[in-house]
Amino acid sequence: MAGEINLEELCKKFDDFVAVDGIDLDMPPGEFFTLLGPSGCGKTTTLRMIAGFERPTSGRILLDGNDVARVPPHQRNVNTVFQSYALFPHLDVAKNVAFGLKYQKVDKAERAKRVGEALELVDMTEFAQRKADQLSGGQQQRVALARALVLRPRVLLLDEPLGALDAQLRKNLQVELKALQAELGITFIFVTHDQSEALTMSDRIAVMYKGRVEQAASPKAIYEEPDTVFVADFLGVSNLIDATAVGQDGAACTVQVGDRTLKAHQGATDARGDVKVMIRPERIEIEPHSNAGEQRMPGMVERSVFLGGAYEVHIRVLGGELVKAMVPNDGDVSAASLEQGAAVSLHLPSDALRVLRAGEPAEEEEAVETAEAPAPGAGA
Amino acid sequence: MGSRWTWRLVALPGVAWLSVFFLVAFYAILAVAFGNQDTLLQPVPHWNPLDWNVGYVADMFDNFFSGGPFLKVSLRTIEFVAIAVALSLLVGYPVAYFTAKHAGRWKGVILLALILPLWINYLMRMLAWINLLAPDGIGSDLLHTFGIEDLFLKIGLLDEPGGWLNGQPTTVILALMYGYIPFFILPLFVAIDRIDRRHIDAARDLGASPASAFFRVTLPLSMPGILAGAVLIALPMFGDYYTADLVSASTQTNMIGNQIDEFMRQGSEKVTGAALTLLLSLFLLVLMFYYLRTTRRAGTTVEDT
Amino acid sequence: MSRLRNPWGRPRFLALITGGYILWAVLPVLLAIAFAFNNGRSRTTWQGFSFRWFTGENGSVLHDPALRDALGHTLLLAVICVAVATPLGVALALGLQRWRGRGSGTVNALMLLPLVTPEIVMGVALLLLFLQVFGGIGLGTDAQAIGQVTFTLSYVVVIVRGRLVSIGPEFEEAAADLGAPRRDQFLRVLLPLLAPAIVASAAVAFATSIDDFVVTQYLSSDASTTTVSMLLYSSARGAPTPALNAIATVNLVITLMTLAFAFLVYRRFAGRDEATSLATMEV
Repeated sequence: MAGEINLEELCKKFDDFVAVDGIDLDMPPGEFFTLLGPSGCGKTTTLRMIAGFERPTSGRILLDGNDVARVPPHQRNVNTVFQSYALFPHLDVAKNVAFGLKYQKVDKAERAKRVGEALELVDMTEFAQRKADQLSGGQQQRVALARALVLRPRVLLLDEPLGALDAQLRKNLQVELKALQAELGITFIFVTHDQSEALTMSDRIAVMYKGRVEQAASPKAIYEEPDTVFVADFLGVSNLIDATAVGQDGAACTVQVGDRTLKAHQGATDARGDVKVMIRPERIEIEPHSNAGEQRMPGMVERSVFLGGAYEVHIRVLGGELVKAMVPNDGDVSAASLEQGAAVSLHLPSDALRVLRAGEPAEEEEAVETAEAPAPGAGA
Repeated sequence: MGSRWTWRLVALPGVAWLSVFFLVAFYAILAVAFGNQDTLLQPVPHWNPLDWNVGYVADMFDNFFSGGPFLKVSLRTIEFVAIAVALSLLVGYPVAYFTAKHAGRWKGVILLALILPLWINYLMRMLAWINLLAPDGIGSDLLHTFGIEDLFLKIGLLDEPGGWLNGQPTTVILALMYGYIPFFILPLFVAIDRIDRRHIDAARDLGASPASAFFRVTLPLSMPGILAGAVLIALPMFGDYYTADLVSASTQTNMIGNQIDEFMRQGSEKVTGAALTLLLSLFLLVLMFYYLRTTRRAGTTVEDT
Repeated sequence: MSRLRNPWGRPRFLALITGGYILWAVLPVLLAIAFAFNNGRSRTTWQGFSFRWFTGENGSVLHDPALRDALGHTLLLAVICVAVATPLGVALALGLQRWRGRGSGTVNALMLLPLVTPEIVMGVALLLLFLQVFGGIGLGTDAQAIGQVTFTLSYVVVIVRGRLVSIGPEFEEAAADLGAPRRDQFLRVLLPLLAPAIVASAAVAFATSIDDFVVTQYLSSDASTTTVSMLLYSSARGAPTPALNAIATVNLVITLMTLAFAFLVYRRFAGRDEATSLATMEV
């Protein structure tokens, strides 16, 4: 049975440091829910509060409607897969998996059966008698999963469980983990700082920054329709261009970039004054220099970076901003011939331009004013 | 996890033990030193600091500043310890350096040989030298055969042929060095072992000769280890009485520890003994404090250069 | 050319110093051990091999009452010391490690102080304590055991806490997460993981107790409270027989076997690197 988690104004302070700053999140039953953010954003603290390892300073944690914020971890029907797995080194695999069954009213035969099933589920049956430290990282991860799942939790918490593994193994396990979640149908709450991992696996992502939720939505919405400059910047590659919103043109917002006027159909079209307009590199079209006109900006190629499947072309537009455009490597030589210094025209379609209320991007540290962010938990 | 009080409660028996048998015991030194003695020279401690009698401690200070016997013993102690520590550094540094940086596959075995003496009873190690340096011992014979005895006699480090165990400062200093050097080498080894090979390589890459790479990189980086080791052996040496007793057995080589031992255990001037112990503790406290300050500063200097 | 300017010359020269040092450090003791097996009264002239000073009818470790009793008393003190210092130290280590905030710094300093206090200061302090405050206990076996526990306690705490730090809180959290109540988090998870460190610390306490001299001497009362170290001190400059070497050898073998056992246990269960760092740190 899948469990539902609701966080209400959840807050955690360590001395003077506010790790989690009053977040509200609804994690629907049976979903693969990801907490995504840079290190120190409060995602792990949030997970540890749901698990019961940290007591919230204030706020509520509802598990299927019951507040469990003050219930000790061993009495909560949620289980955790730890970052470094925390497999007990003095026990073998089978005993690790059987560890928690001792605290559920399960007789011996049933216990053995469930350990067997859990090991089978993660394809580790043949390693049952191995000691934990005789396993590879990937195998340990599977055992940690089995050890948690054998207790049939309503919610499974995963704290960067793929963080210690190499890239190829990670990719395989991402797919397996997602498939496992779909098969079991229980709620997974997954913590990661890896945006591609989050996009691949999740049904829903909450992007966290400085103890707050910047945006919670489906992966597609998070990527296509970021609410804040931070989210736009953190997921994938974005062009964030300084602009001034000057007026309304039907459903679109008219923005001034340098001496050009563009129309933007997406985002906070009702904003006025200093804003950022955001566009993904793959939505920019590079056209011959002669193509002037609406939604066009002239620029000069600074460099073209070969990425294998595509070229990432860096273009300095009039007014000084650097814009990245993605040109697929489809065998056409014209992309490769975009040499340094070539004059081009950029087409920025109005339905790909998104207006974001101004804030500093994450790279320029400390500067983000979370006050500018929309209400926590607001979907797109 | 667990409430704050659970863990304090768990720590409580140990804390209580240390409070009584370390803190109160140490306070007993104060109470006796600042106390009085009865007609049988037995101490009458004054537990209340308001009742303290500073007479005996003041006498001690007088004795020091008027150049009395305590001053002489103290200066001798400092001299012995300083030379023994310097000799330990001279021998210990190359050994620690070699083991850390050049021992290769022998490292484990050498390390074991360096650790081993730590766990051989100190008195047994002294006994071994007493056997060797006895007038008919193998050591005396060898020292005689190789002319070292003659050399020591000539430069005044030995008073009489074969008299190694008869009140010789040389023997006491060498015995102190022998006794404590293993405690010096290990922290030094750990400090040198931690120095990243790449720092030395970088210095060489930037044009330093091996010698200047050593003096500008390796040595400054091993300074905390040298200091730690020196303090680690100097502290117990200052309180040592058995080494001098065993290899010299003469008041000519009395150290401060021998003086305290005579007052406390053999004689019956416990109040004077307590006062002397108190002064020794104060001196060592200053030494510790100085060490802690220097290591902190050494740490920052190394980062600055 | 530049090689010649190396202050230590070639490592070969360093190797020579190191080899010489090890020889100098160990050889005298090996000779002392060898003479424990001398078939004669001399501790300086070899007269053939024998076990007479260990098990002979006259004046051997086994049959001379003074020697036998000293060895027995040494072991008795060591057993008491381990039995008291280990649980006390393990509890203190656990408490100190988990107890954050007010007072923990002070207690930590109090725990480390005995490690840097010269033994004679502790000896005097405890002597005066038992003479002036605990006259009821007085000097003798009890006082000796208490004195030894007071400074071996710190060794136990340092070793156990080192292990606690390397274990981290994660395993207990995992146990809690899997439903184990606090008692089981401790008994089923933390204690087994801590076991090698407890064994190692007990062994170190045992060896430290056996080799202790100053505190034990200061708190002794009569001949029945003489230990091997005290015997070595009082007899070395007299006219002893190789029996003194023999009892020192027995003492040494017990110490080294205890430590070797502990090292192997620790390496088996806590990993080679941690065991090596423990061995080099336990100064």
